[in-house]
Amino acid sequence: MRESIILKWARTPGMEHLEEYRRAGGYEAARRVAVGAWTPDQVIELLIASGLRGKGGAGFPTGQKWKFIPRQAPTTYVVVNADEGEPGTFKDRTLLEGCPHLLIEGILIAAMTVGATKAYIYLRREFHRARRVLEAALAQARAAGVVGERVFGTGQAVEIVVHTGAGAYIAGEESALLESLEGRRALPRLRPPFPAQAGLYGQPTLVNNVETLCHVPVILTLGPERYRSYGPPALFSVSGCVVRPGVYEAPLGVTLRALVFDYAGGLRPGRRFVAAFPGGSSSMLLTADQLDVPMDYDSLRQVGSMLGSAAVIVLDDAADLVEVIARAVEFYRDESCGKCTPCREGTVWLSQIFERILGGRGRVEDLHLLESIAQGMTGTCFCPLGESVPPSLVASLRHFRGAYERHIAQAVVHGR
Amino acid sequence: MAAEPGARTVTLTIDGRRVTVPEGTTVYQAARAVGVEIPIFCYHDRMPPLGACRMCLVKVEKMPKLQASCTLPAADGMVVDTHGPEVRAGQEAILEFLLINHPLDCPICDKGGECPLQDQTFRWGPGRSRFTEPKRDFAKPVSLGPVLALDRERCILCWRCVRFGEIIAGDDALKGFQRGFASEINTAFTQPVASKFIGNTIAICPVGALTSRPYRFRARPWDNRPVPSTCTHCGLGCAVWLDVRDNQILRTRAREEPAVNDIWLCDRGFFGHDYVSAKDRLTTPLVRRHGRLEETSWGEALDLVAAHLRASMARGPGRVAFLGGARLSNEEAWVASRFFRQVVGTPHLDHRVDASPVGASLRVPWGLRAPIEEIGRADVLVLIGCDVTEEYPVLWLRMKQAVDRGATLVVVHAKRLEIHRFVRHEHLVRHDRLAATVEDLARGAEAADPAVVRTAASIAAGARVHILVGRGALDAPGGPALLRAAARLAARAKGTLHIARGKGNEIGAQRFGLIPSDGGWNAPEILEAAAGGRLDVLYVAGGDPATAVTDRAAWEAARRGVGFLVVHEAFLSSTARSADVVLPALVLPEKPGTVTNLEGRTLPLAAAVVGPGQARSDDAIFASLAAALGVTFSYGTSEELLEEMRAAVPDFCPGAVSPIPPVSVPAGAARRPEALPDEDPGRAEASGLWLALTEQLFSQGVMTGRCRGITDLAGAPHCLIHPSDAARLGVRDRSLVELATAHGAVVLQARTSDVTVPGQVLVPRGYDAVPVHALVRWPHPAAAVSVRPILPAAAGGAP
Repeated sequence: MRESIILKWARTPGMEHLEEYRRAGGYEAARRVAVGAWTPDQVIELLIASGLRGKGGAGFPTGQKWKFIPRQAPTTYVVVNADEGEPGTFKDRTLLEGCPHLLIEGILIAAMTVGATKAYIYLRREFHRARRVLEAALAQARAAGVVGERVFGTGQAVEIVVHTGAGAYIAGEESALLESLEGRRALPRLRPPFPAQAGLYGQPTLVNNVETLCHVPVILTLGPERYRSYGPPALFSVSGCVVRPGVYEAPLGVTLRALVFDYAGGLRPGRRFVAAFPGGSSSMLLTADQLDVPMDYDSLRQVGSMLGSAAVIVLDDAADLVEVIARAVEFYRDESCGKCTPCREGTVWLSQIFERILGGRGRVEDLHLLESIAQGMTGTCFCPLGESVPPSLVASLRHFRGAYERHIAQAVVHGR
Repeated sequence: MAAEPGARTVTLTIDGRRVTVPEGTTVYQAARAVGVEIPIFCYHDRMPPLGACRMCLVKVEKMPKLQASCTLPAADGMVVDTHGPEVRAGQEAILEFLLINHPLDCPICDKGGECPLQDQTFRWGPGRSRFTEPKRDFAKPVSLGPVLALDRERCILCWRCVRFGEIIAGDDALKGFQRGFASEINTAFTQPVASKFIGNTIAICPVGALTSRPYRFRARPWDNRPVPSTCTHCGLGCAVWLDVRDNQILRTRAREEPAVNDIWLCDRGFFGHDYVSAKDRLTTPLVRRHGRLEETSWGEALDLVAAHLRASMARGPGRVAFLGGARLSNEEAWVASRFFRQVVGTPHLDHRVDASPVGASLRVPWGLRAPIEEIGRADVLVLIGCDVTEEYPVLWLRMKQAVDRGATLVVVHAKRLEIHRFVRHEHLVRHDRLAATVEDLARGAEAADPAVVRTAASIAAGARVHILVGRGALDAPGGPALLRAAARLAARAKGTLHIARGKGNEIGAQRFGLIPSDGGWNAPEILEAAAGGRLDVLYVAGGDPATAVTDRAAWEAARRGVGFLVVHEAFLSSTARSADVVLPALVLPEKPGTVTNLEGRTLPLAAAVVGPGQARSDDAIFASLAAALGVTFSYGTSEELLEEMRAAVPDFCPGAVSPIPPVSVPAGAARRPEALPDEDPGRAEASGLWLALTEQLFSQGVMTGRCRGITDLAGAPHCLIHPSDAARLGVRDRSLVELATAHGAVVLQARTSDVTVPGQVLVPRGYDAVPVHALVRWPHPAAAVSVRPILPAAAGGAP
């Protein structure tokens, strides 16, 4: 394990205080951007050179995203997606609570680069502590002239507003987030236009995840080469059946095996690794024979899964895979926004069938039905929420059919 | 789809056919253009695509997933498959998802037979259901007001109705609540829906989730005989289908007419047909004997009328006058005009029964001076005393399009309009200050009020300025000065000045001769002549002056002063009740012919149903009377009548617009003195309140009072009083008050509302049971009013 360059900010005590943060070298990158030591084009070049990709789930190259924002638009917004809701993901909360100034600095750099004078942090409703920490940090930053009308005493203005959501998972999808921020139901928007063209209130909008923005000051400070030498780094939320669940910084491309057995301390004694979601519950689960898959965007895509939010949920042989998938389906049922038919109706139908199977009323034909419903949802949904359901369900039916059959056999034996 | 010359096009292949369409066309539209049918639910061609239902999935080569064709822009070289196995599987999956929670109540569902879900299940759906779980359960049906019933179990959440309210009407009447599978369309707290256009959501609902309460369980679509006709309520002339079963109009639907209503109607149009089959239609002629109206034969009634006309003619010309016309067809207006001018020999004809002698209504021909479509392309719209959603609702839908494209909406009115959130510049002033405000606007940069200067600058900056002056301004104190100022404003902005005035077929009445000429008297002068004993016969058809004349005392004096009152009516209206002879008349949906809408467009009527009893059309009655007076009106065919009308009015051409000449405002003094101040300043001082009468779409008049849905939508007769005045006077919301002026008093429900300004009580017209015109006298258009709370009769009653 190597030294961390992102997580260390969250893990260093006192980083929620502006003076401590500045003493550690914080806000220097933002100040240099403010005074013009780096032009917007240079900032974007540095980001492109760093290889930074969005940490929210889609993994879009961050430098490209910043470059797409039209520079001459009269009004541009920066929106921070702090609606961390993907099951198993808790890295953004760690950053928000541990090093709010790192995020604020990232926002400042983003805003000054794309020419935004206003940034919104769309914060997950349940993050009460993060909200307190963030508001306090913002107050300090405003008082110190870091955020506000004259950033670092220059002519540039960047105001940052914290807005809490109302508890919808779908609001973490960037276009639904913008709808919610505008005061409407959090329903995903049709794209194009993309937020870079017409986002918040129809204006060009840069939407970035918390972790993504926290990488930005580090990249500028270390330079892209040194940054890349750390992997490049990524924060993994590891949870489930491991000895030391938590957030770990590891190089992109670390194997699942290393994350589970080295970083997170392995499984509890006597337990056997069965499966893991590599990137939150929306990513297709991996099985024991895939432990050596490198945890990076392309390798995971090649095996049909995805890095997503880099949230590893580990399942050992004590877990009932049917219950795990049923719980995931239930989650998507409850969080479906209701806009499109396959997601709204498919998730509820699937969970009705799972309820029956787990309640001892399963039928042999249910397995085919589950697969067929999953098929009907595949490639037909409006947004990725509904599309998240079928892969793991289908994978579980393929790799853990025995678990399903045991539930159904019990029902048959008991004559139901 | 024909590409406009010069527009960029793309060429793609759909099911093996090459299609060239303008850039920006969706794959769905491109497919439809070449006759390839793709099933849809959420897509509606009057709204931008949404992509929610996922029914329109297609396969596009080189794209990994199925694509929603309604949201996918067609691109060069695209190869689209709409019916292959993969597409079929996708469509079947979506349809199955839609059906699993859809109830199986098609046999008792109003939508059955015209239901897209039913049709598409028949065509694309699986034959049987694999769904064995309990279905989604909602209370049903839920009433959302007098005309709308909601069945959430049937709803497939296509969002069309919600988006209609957001995009087309701008009234946000229905909204989505909850989320995921619990999502439902509703109003907040299931309150009655607040809309003037909700019938359209029933029409575009692809299932039976939104149904019409008046129509529920009345017919299957194949039971109905749809008759194409024109709505004759507000005068905009929306195209309709009248669905007839057993000689009864059960339902009105919008008929597509791109130039007028596109595919929309207002709720008065949708629910305004019940009166035709009302039980109390007049079926036999009535004559007054011993003070009472008694049934008689046509022969006797016509003889009596002819005798009175003959006697009057013998005493000299011009001793007979005619009032009315709003409810006559063009042809009937022409025949009436010819009858009175040529047979009876009187020039005293006027359709403008509801015009005040001191306003500007009588000074200028009514009507729009540009096609409705052109108003939809305005970049500045100025509404002066024109409550567009109450008076010409569907015209608002055009204006909304203009506003959405960035047009500036300016309103000068005594009432905050319900569309006020779309208004850029609002000048909400007391009724008697409207004229001064418009004069200020016409002064432009020299006006004293900076807000007025800003508005004037906005108007001046427009390239396509349309100024609509409505009844609320024309009849306001200082109406003539207001009209002159509006004309200056229009001239300065090189805009078009419209007179948004006239209901039913009043523009047709105006065009075909029911307007004084050759020294004839206008409506108030006719009443004055009648009151002064200078008339022998007052003849009314297609109007109800007893309620419409804005000075009830003037009408009553006229009635007392005239020896013989003849009325053509379908109902025993207030006017008919006081008549000497009442001749039972057909109503417009029972007559063929044409009407003229507000823009001067000639539109078709159809005899959708056969009239009751011995009721006759107005032109037939006039022809009989002409015959009795020795003149034969023989129109062997309607073509002969059209020939004659065309000869008299050369630009009369069914279907086309005959433009109404631009407004030219008479500069000189009126024939009558300008309005006088209120003669009761003491009352104004004591109460601090002035009265203003307003227009209301949902009313309880001769026709609307006999349409169940509309009567219920109209609710109780009421007045609107500003909360600050209400607090000062101890008036509670929804309590009863007595409104009194120097001339009369009425009892109404008071509603406290900030749509009025402090110091002004708004009273909607249109409730025949409440004679609000008894509160005002000509020539005093401004009346001071006192408001007295009436305590509930029983102690402990609801506040």
